Amino acid sequence: MSSIKEKFNQISPSEFFYSNRDLAGFSNPTRSLYTAVREFVENSLDACDQKGILPDVHLTIKAVDPEKPDPKPYILTVKDNGPGVDSKYVPLAFGTILYGSKFGLKQARGMFGLGATMAILYGQITTNKPVIVKSSRDGKIQDEFELLLDIQKNKPIIVKHKTKEISKSGLSVSICLEGDYSKAGTKIRDYVYETSLITPYATITFDDPKGQKFHHPRFVKNIPSPPTIIRPHPHGIDVERIRRMIVESLFEIPNIDDTMIEKVRKDLGLSKKNLSFTAIMEKARKKGKSLPCQTRVVIALMSFLKMDFEKLNKIRIEDIDVPNKKLFYWDFGDSQSKSVDMDSESQYYNLLTHTVQGEPLTTFLTKRFQRVGPTTAVKFAKFAKFKPEKRMGTMTNQELVKLSNSLQTFEDFMAPDSNCLAPLGAEPLEKGIKKFFNPDFTAVVQRPASAYSGFPFIIEMGIAYGGEIKSGGPHVYRFANRIPLLYDEGSDVVLKVVNDADWGRYKVKGEPPFVIVSHICSTRIPYKTAGKENVADRPEIERELRLALQLLSRKLAAYMSKRGQAEMAKKRSNLYAKYIPMIAEFCTELAGKKKEPDYKKILEEVNPIEPKKIVEEEKPIENK
Amino acid sequence: MKTSKSKELNKKSKEKQKNILEMLKSHGAKIYDDLDNGQFPKFSIPSRSVSNIVYDKKLRQYILGNNSALRSAKNSAQLRSFTQLMWLAFFANRLTQEKKSSTLRDVYYSSQAFAVEFEDQSESDNIIVDLEAVTSKPREDFHIFPEERSSIFGDLDIEYTIPGYEGKTMNLSNHPDGYSIGPSLTTCDLVGTSAEIVIAVEKGGLFTRFVEEQIDKKFKSIIINTGGQAPRSTRTLLKRLHDEMGLPVIILTDGDVYGEHIAMVIKSGSANAAHLRELTVPDAKWVGVWATDIEKYKLPTIPMTEFDIKRCYDLQKDPRYQEGIWKKELDVFLKLKRKAELEAFSKYGLTNITDKYLPQKLELAKSL
Ligand SMILES: Nc1ncnc2c1ncn2[C@@H]1O[C@H](COP(=O)(O)OP(=O)(O)OP(=O)(O)O)[C@@H](O)[C@H]1O
Ligand SMILES: [Mg+2]
Repeated sequence: MSSIKEKFNQISPSEFFYSNRDLAGFSNPTRSLYTAVREFVENSLDACDQKGILPDVHLTIKAVDPEKPDPKPYILTVKDNGPGVDSKYVPLAFGTILYGSKFGLKQARGMFGLGATMAILYGQITTNKPVIVKSSRDGKIQDEFELLLDIQKNKPIIVKHKTKEISKSGLSVSICLEGDYSKAGTKIRDYVYETSLITPYATITFDDPKGQKFHHPRFVKNIPSPPTIIRPHPHGIDVERIRRMIVESLFEIPNIDDTMIEKVRKDLGLSKKNLSFTAIMEKARKKGKSLPCQTRVVIALMSFLKMDFEKLNKIRIEDIDVPNKKLFYWDFGDSQSKSVDMDSESQYYNLLTHTVQGEPLTTFLTKRFQRVGPTTAVKFAKFAKFKPEKRMGTMTNQELVKLSNSLQTFEDFMAPDSNCLAPLGAEPLEKGIKKFFNPDFTAVVQRPASAYSGFPFIIEMGIAYGGEIKSGGPHVYRFANRIPLLYDEGSDVVLKVVNDADWGRYKVKGEPPFVIVSHICSTRIPYKTAGKENVADRPEIERELRLALQLLSRKLAAYMSKRGQAEMAKKRSNLYAKYIPMIAEFCTELAGKKKEPDYKKILEEVNPIEPKKIVEEEKPIENK
Repeated sequence: MKTSKSKELNKKSKEKQKNILEMLKSHGAKIYDDLDNGQFPKFSIPSRSVSNIVYDKKLRQYILGNNSALRSAKNSAQLRSFTQLMWLAFFANRLTQEKKSSTLRDVYYSSQAFAVEFEDQSESDNIIVDLEAVTSKPREDFHIFPEERSSIFGDLDIEYTIPGYEGKTMNLSNHPDGYSIGPSLTTCDLVGTSAEIVIAVEKGGLFTRFVEEQIDKKFKSIIINTGGQAPRSTRTLLKRLHDEMGLPVIILTDGDVYGEHIAMVIKSGSANAAHLRELTVPDAKWVGVWATDIEKYKLPTIPMTEFDIKRCYDLQKDPRYQEGIWKKELDVFLKLKRKAELEAFSKYGLTNITDKYLPQKLELAKSL
């Protein structure tokens, strides 16, 4: 995300998205209505997930003028029982593009901080109506906002704000937007239906513009444990990301201007008093580590310059030459560059080198990555042929490439921490599949966590066959971070993997009645666009998908061959039932007899065990 | 005298019908008993696979070896063909009892009235061959006849056995276009003839010429048009003329490898019918047109096609072509790489073949 942010800082982000709104899924009235529904429903579910609340989400779509033909303005309202948004953040959250609370490394449906605002923006430009947000955090007071968006400034305009008493916490958003329900209806209903499959602990209702009500009550009572925020895993990290982490880890050499000096004085409690250089140093030594980092850097500089605040005011730091232990500065009074030597024994020397050259490699690794302890860090340094105390700031480009390659290939890192992920779990997934498709056979797998580009992910997959599933399969249901993906399936990695599978090998032939449910959980789903509809094919993800599918396919094959045997036996017994009486008829006349022979005995002999029994014997396999 | 002989013959054909019915009944009774005893019915059938077709030098024809396969109604893969065969036996039984004739195609369609499915006619044809193999009787005995017709002409008295004509007699020289050899001629009784030889020719055109030129009278012969490869009904009739009337059979074909083989099939059967033994005339003689005749009679020729040549090489592998004129003529065909039709004699006048060639060949036949 930050790369888009960087690239487009010349125009405001909301201007950028305004002119590129089809990127975010707002290309036409049909797609926009669908995307708006998604964004609000997903925000509600995210908010409830984070606070461990069993979600009740109510979606309503109403035509402003039901008589008008589509496309026409609709009022879309999504109401939840979640934690709401703090009153002072409501305008920011709903009126600013790229403002969100979900940028941290953990799994959530939202990730860009633009979904809700884009929907609101789209509503505003098509109907010129404000968005209404009602939010209550404590379940007592509700803030009601009417907001408009200032697109150029990427800022909300508060049209109205009032509060009232209320008895339940939660948030509701209501926008007016141009949409085409006659075309988007199927997709929206599918979306609600599939969302309730992958969010079995939520109750979701939908009142559609035609007065139809769709009610999907929760069928699982406990919420999967919420994810925690974590650091990246070293596997699959790239040079660019390391470079960015180093920049974050370096303290800048502070610009010593009036404000900075004022701040340092305040931190030392010397706002009013003028102390001598030695007195200042003494004071600083006493305060020690309790001082803010920047202040400590200024004091370190002062310690080598041997200057008080007054003198400090008249110079500018030019360079800190660590190898030669020299400090260069420009003296405004004499108008010339000067230098002092730095004592490497001094406690302040370390602080300055640290500032300029960054942390040692081992510290960098243990502090900024998951799964790297001090021992592993030293082992890794040896593997990568770096000195453990090598300063990150001194790494050349070549060394960074070497570091990144080694991080990717070093095998002793533990698998990524998946605490930041919130997969649904095999059990609720299986329960959902059985409830939704009522199949003869179900198998579900949750793969162990894996990582791509430093982001952990987990694949969950289910397969179901027969029963009430219609033929023409495999019908693929794609989910990512508990979001159903309904558009653009053609270019999706899951579809690719399914299409590559040789189903004949698994005894699945013709137009089989079968369903595949795939759920990718990750801190960052590699979506191809901001519209969040199709997942790009990263080799690591593709591999995990294949493994999951293979495992399930083998189980399906085992079931199919048993089922095949049962069907064969049935077919055979049907054959006997058909042909033996004919043989009897013909040979009776041939033999010149009147009465047909008694062939019942042999028909009984070939009649296999009741087919029903066999299907029941099947059941234990499904659960394995 | 004729009547007494005819009565005797009538008795014989009645006997034959009785035998067929008896045999079908015994097969049916076996199946019936199996079923009634709570057992899956089964029977064995001689294998018709290539590996089981062998040439019997003594019989001078292809026969089936000792391999046989078991057909069981217990085997679900065989259940369908088992039923089809049972139906066919049942159907053949009715045909024979009612003395009704039918064609291969009729059989295919008749099956549908009994809900017995045949994928196509080739499947039902195949089951008919199965019935022949099990019973060692040609399908004509069950009143199933092929579509192809060939014809006969000459002084031969016959007596019909088919329903509606029973006892009626006929002389086969009364109609100059000849008589087509269908079910009635295949099943009729042969009563008497003044002929001393049977001449089988490959082509209808030459047949007509022979009738015109009164070859039947000039050479005391019965003329038969085989219409290319002789149908089984014609071969049966040839065999009966030879066996029952004591007439020698000579064959006149085009001067090419196919002609040579037409003669061979009349003489010793085909691999396709290795399961049957009543279709051959081992003493039949091929008198021409030989490859050596092409030079001898200076006949106009056509070059052999690649296909003709391939056929020559194929036949060289056949055990029947390993000696005598069969081998010699085949070799010469291959050497000449040319062939000549019966009509080629017309170059020397339309009656050249009947005036010159035929008498020479008839003379020669005596010494073959
Ligand atoms: N129903 C809600 N309850 C509580 N907080 C909400 C709700 N809806 C939105 N928010 C807050 O508003 C922020 C902005 O939402 P928005 O949809 O614009 O971005 P996002 O969900 O973080 O990312 P994305 O663009 O991927 O949807 C969220 O991060 C969340 O903090
Ligand atoms: Mg969102």
